[in-house]
Amino acid sequence: MQSDRARHFLRQGLFAILLGVVCAVPVMAAPIQLPPIVEPASQEHHVGKLIFVELVTPDLAAAKRFYAGLFGWTFRDIQAGGTEYAEAFLGGRPIAGLIHKNLPASERRQPAWLSFFAVGDVDAAKRVALQNGAKVLFEPHNIPDRGREAVFADPQGAVFAVLASSSGDPPDVLAAPGDWIWASLITSDPDTDAAFYQSLFGYEVFELPASEGAQHLLLASHDYARASINSLPANRPNAHPYWLNYVRVEDTVNMTAKVVALGGRVLVEPWTDRHGGKVAVVADPSGAAFGLLEWRDSEGKEVPK
Amino acid sequence: MNIVLSRRFVLAFVVWTVMVLLSGCILPGGGYEYGGGDIGAAYYEPYGLDYGGWGPGYHVAPYRGGYHRPTSGGGHASARAYRPAPASHSVPSIPSQSRSGGSRSR
Repeated sequence: MQSDRARHFLRQGLFAILLGVVCAVPVMAAPIQLPPIVEPASQEHHVGKLIFVELVTPDLAAAKRFYAGLFGWTFRDIQAGGTEYAEAFLGGRPIAGLIHKNLPASERRQPAWLSFFAVGDVDAAKRVALQNGAKVLFEPHNIPDRGREAVFADPQGAVFAVLASSSGDPPDVLAAPGDWIWASLITSDPDTDAAFYQSLFGYEVFELPASEGAQHLLLASHDYARASINSLPANRPNAHPYWLNYVRVEDTVNMTAKVVALGGRVLVEPWTDRHGGKVAVVADPSGAAFGLLEWRDSEGKEVPK
Repeated sequence: MNIVLSRRFVLAFVVWTVMVLLSGCILPGGGYEYGGGDIGAAYYEPYGLDYGGWGPGYHVAPYRGGYHRPTSGGGHASARAYRPAPASHSVPSIPSQSRSGGSRSR
C-alpha cells in the first residue's frame, strides 16, 4: 500500500519536473530580440563609422543608475536565455546595450565598452581582418532584427566589433549631449594599426601634428572624421592597446564632478584638446572607462596652430 | 511490462531534453573567454588597462571645422604602412548638422 503511494508520488513528481523542463526549453532556446539600431529602418550605410557600443558589467543595476544619472539615458530590460540585457536609449533612440555577466575575481579581467563599427559584410570583414593580422574573438553571428556581428582583436590586441546593421546605419549628424561622439585607438603601433583599419574599412588616413616620438593619425570616411589613432603615452609604453569611446558633453569639468558623485572615478583629469574644448577619461562604478568630449554648438572654428 | 516501457520512455525523454538544453548553451565563439550566448559579445578586457599618461599636448579630439594641412607636410616622413590621404585633401571634422536638421546624403 505504502509502496503504491510512494510510486504514485514519484510518478507525479517526475511528471511535474518533466513538464517544467519541457516548458523551459522554448524559453531558454528562444533567440533574444534586440531592437534595430535605426528606427525606422534606413538605407544609409557608413562603413567605418562607430554605430553602437556595448558594455559588459557585473552589476547591471548599478550601471543603469550611473548612466541614467549622468546622461539621462533610459533603459528597456530584455531577458532571454538566462541573459540580462538592458537597451539604453537617448531621446527615444537606442544608443547602447548593457549586458550582465558575472566577473569572478579570479578571472583578472575588467569591464569595458566595446566599440561596434559599421561594415557591409561581416564575413568579408573577417577575411580581411584575418589576412591583416587580427584574431577572431567572437565568430560572425546573427542577432535577429539587429544584424550580423563579430568581435576581433587587431594586430596589437585592441578589441573591437563590426556590425552589419539590418536596419541601416545611424545618419551622419552631430551627436546630442549624452550620445557617443568620438572614438580613439591608443596603441603601441599606430602606423601598422592605421594600415589594418584602412584595409578593413577603407579609411582615408591623415597624419596630424604630434609631440616628439609620438604619432597621431585621423581616420575618415565619407568626408567625415571617424576616429583617431594615438601612440600610447610615452610614460606608458607597455600598456595594453585599447579603443576608447567618448560621450559628448557640454561641460567636461562639471561632468567629471558628477561622475564622482555617482560612484565613478576620474582616470584622466580634464584638459583642453585641439578643438578648444576639454576632454577627460572617466570610469563607471564597475571600472569601465569612457571619455567625455566637450563639444559646444556655439563654438567657432578653431584656428589650427 | 508497461511500467518498464514507461520508465524507459521517460528516461529517454529526460536525456533528450538535457541534450537539447545543452546544445542551446554552446557558444559559437568556443575556446575564447568572450561570448554572451545569443546576444551581444559579452567580454571583459584584460585586467589592468592603464588609461593614464595623457595630458597637455596629447590630442585625441577631431578638429572643429576641419583642418587645412600645411603643404610641407610634417611629422613622420619615413615610409608608412598605410596609404596617406592625398596632400590636397583637408582633414575633415565630425558631422556638424543637428539631428533635427536632417543628414547630408553622401
